[in-house]
Amino acid sequence: MNMFVLGYYAFLIGLSCLAAYYNKRSAFLLLFSLTLASFVLGIVGGESALHAIAASAAILALAAGTSYAFREFLVMITPHETARELRTAPLTASFGMFVIFTYAIAGVFAPIIAPFGEGEVIAGAFAPADDTMLLGADQLGRDMFSRIIYGARNSVGLALIATMLAFIMGAAAGMLAATRGGWLDQFLGRFADVIMSVPSLIFSLLMLSIFGTNLAVIVIVVAVIYAPRVFRLTRAVAGNVVVMDYIEAAKLRGEGTWYLIRKEILPNSTAPLIAEFGLEFCFVFLLIAGLSFLGLGIQPPTADWGSMVRENATLISFGELTPLIPAAAIALLTVSVNFVVDWMLYRSSGLKG
Amino acid sequence: MGDVLKLVAKRLGLGLVTLLVVSILIFFAVELLPGDIAQAVLGQSATEETVQAMREQLGLDRAAPIRYLDWLAGAVQGDFGVSLVSGERVSEAIGGRFANTLFLAAYAAVIAVPIAIILGIAVALFRNSIFDRVANVLTLTSISSPEFFLGYVLILFFAVRSSMFPAIASISDGMSFGDLLYRSFLPALTLVLVVVAHMMRMTRAAIINLLASPYIEMARLKGAPPWKVIVHHALPNAWAPIINVVALNLAYLITGVVLVEVVFVYPGVGQLLVDAVSKRDFPIVQACCLVFAATFILLNLAADVGAILTNPRLRHPK
Repeated sequence: MNMFVLGYYAFLIGLSCLAAYYNKRSAFLLLFSLTLASFVLGIVGGESALHAIAASAAILALAAGTSYAFREFLVMITPHETARELRTAPLTASFGMFVIFTYAIAGVFAPIIAPFGEGEVIAGAFAPADDTMLLGADQLGRDMFSRIIYGARNSVGLALIATMLAFIMGAAAGMLAATRGGWLDQFLGRFADVIMSVPSLIFSLLMLSIFGTNLAVIVIVVAVIYAPRVFRLTRAVAGNVVVMDYIEAAKLRGEGTWYLIRKEILPNSTAPLIAEFGLEFCFVFLLIAGLSFLGLGIQPPTADWGSMVRENATLISFGELTPLIPAAAIALLTVSVNFVVDWMLYRSSGLKG
Repeated sequence: MGDVLKLVAKRLGLGLVTLLVVSILIFFAVELLPGDIAQAVLGQSATEETVQAMREQLGLDRAAPIRYLDWLAGAVQGDFGVSLVSGERVSEAIGGRFANTLFLAAYAAVIAVPIAIILGIAVALFRNSIFDRVANVLTLTSISSPEFFLGYVLILFFAVRSSMFPAIASISDGMSFGDLLYRSFLPALTLVLVVVAHMMRMTRAAIINLLASPYIEMARLKGAPPWKVIVHHALPNAWAPIINVVALNLAYLITGVVLVEVVFVYPGVGQLLVDAVSKRDFPIVQACCLVFAATFILLNLAADVGAILTNPRLRHPK
C-alpha cells in the first residue's frame, strides 16, 4: 500500500459520500460503482490498473469540462434563437461539435500548423520521437504528426466531397421521384434496391478493380453506392410533403417541377435531411478509410489516415501506440458526428424514449 | 398456413430475381473496362499476338450476353472459370476459404447474439439511467470505429503487451477445434464488438418502441414489476424486430469480415478478394463478389421471412 493507492480510494469514497449526502443519486451510483470496479481491477491488475483507471477518468473529466465550456462559448456568441436550442444540447453533442470544429481548423490551416510537408523525408525510417518530431517518423522517415494534420485535410475532404455528391444525386432523384411519380418513381426505386442489395465494401472493391484507383473514381463510386440511401429517405420525406394542400395549390398555380422541388418541398424536409447528411458522412468516411487501409483508396504519397495505419502497422508488434493514432482520429471524428446527429434526431423527433 | 407458404415463396422468388440482377451487374461491370479484359490484364506493352491469344483463350470473340449465360451456368454449378494470374481453378481457390470465412462469422455470431439481446433488454429496462447513457456512448464509439482500429487495439493489448492470444490467425486444416477457436479468437472478438453494439442499440429501440403501447401501460398500472413488464409483455412482441436485427447484422458481418481478415491475415474469402482486386484478377473478383452478394441477399431474405413468421400482421398486407 503506497500513498497513491490510499489517496485514490480515499478520494473516491469521499466523493461518493459527498454525492450521497447531497442526494445526487446518479453521481453517487457512478462513483460508487467506479470504486467497486477499482477494488476488483486493483486486486487483479495491481497498481498499474488503478493508474490506468485514474488516467482515463481524468481524460473523461477533461473532455466533459471542455465540452461544457465550448457549449457556453457557443451559447454566448450565437444569436438568441440558436442559443436557446444549443442550451439543450447534451455534453456529448457539444463534445462532438468541439471535435468537428478542431478537425475543421486542422484541415483548413494544415500547411501552417504542420511543421513539415506531407511528403518531406526528414529522418530515418521509424525514427523515435524527439523535440522536432512529436510522434516520430513513419516507415519512410516522414514526420508522423505533420502527416496526421494533412490527413485531416485529405481524408475528411475527400469524404465530404463524396458525401455531397451522393447527397445531391440521391436527394434530386428522390424529390423528382416523389413529384413526378409513375414509372420514373418505380424505375428509380428498383434501381436503388439493386445497388443496396450488394454490400457496399464489396461493390466498391469490384468497381475499383475495374476502373483503377484514382481520386475521381473513388469519389464517384462511393457516391453512387451511398446515393440510394439518401434517395429512399428523401423519397419518403418528400412523399409526405407532396400530398399537402399547399403543393396542390402551387400545382394549380401552374408551377413547374423544379419550382415545386426548390421552393415547396426542400424547405419542408431539411431537418431529417441534415441529420441524414451526418450519418451518410460517417458511412462514407468509414468506407473510404477502409478502402485506403486495404491499399485501394487514396494513393501515396498523399497523407491519409487509412493508409497510414497500414503502412505503419509493423510498429504495433513492438508495442508502439503511434500507428493507432490515425485510426483513432478516424474513430473520434465518426463518434463526434454521430453524437451531434444523435442529438439532432432526438430533438427533431421529440422522442422521449 | 398455405397463406404463409405463398408469401414466403413470393419473397424467395423476389430474392432470386434480385440475385439474378446482381449477377448481371457484376458480370457486365467488367465489360465496362476500357478495351477488354485481355488488354487490361496484359497491359500496354503486350504484343498484338499475345492479346489475341488471350482473347481466344477467354472466349472473348463471342458476344457478351452469350458469355454471361455461360458464366452463369458455370456459377450455378460452382464453376467460376480459371484465375487469370495463377491459372488455378477459381472454385478451388474459394472453396476452403469460404468455409473459413463462414466459421469466423459463425464464431462471432454465436458469441454476439446472446450478449447483444441480453444487454439490449437490460439497457431498455434501465433506460435514461446513467448506465443507459454510458452504454449509449460506448456502443456509438464501437460502431463508429473502423474495424481495423478495433482489431489493432486488440492486437496491441492481447497479443503484444500481454501475449494471451496470437496476433496472426494462421489456421490450417489439421487443427483441433479448440486450437481453431483459440487462434481465431481475436478476429472473432473484433467482429463481436462491432456487431454487439449495433444489435444492442436496435434491440433497445425495438423494445422502447413497444413500451409506448397501451397494453404495456395496462401491465404497468396493474402493478407488474418493470422486469416482468419487459420480459413477459414487451419481449414476445419484440421478437419480430429482434430477429430482423440479428439477420441484418449477420449480413453486416459479411462486409466487416473483409477488413478483419486483412488485419489478422486470416485465410478467408475477404483476403482473397482484396488480393485479386489489386492484381486485377477478374474471374476471382467476380466470383467473390457473387458469393458475398448471395450471402448478403440470403440473410436479408431470412430477415424478411423471419419477420413474416413471427408477426401475423405482415401475413395480410393491406
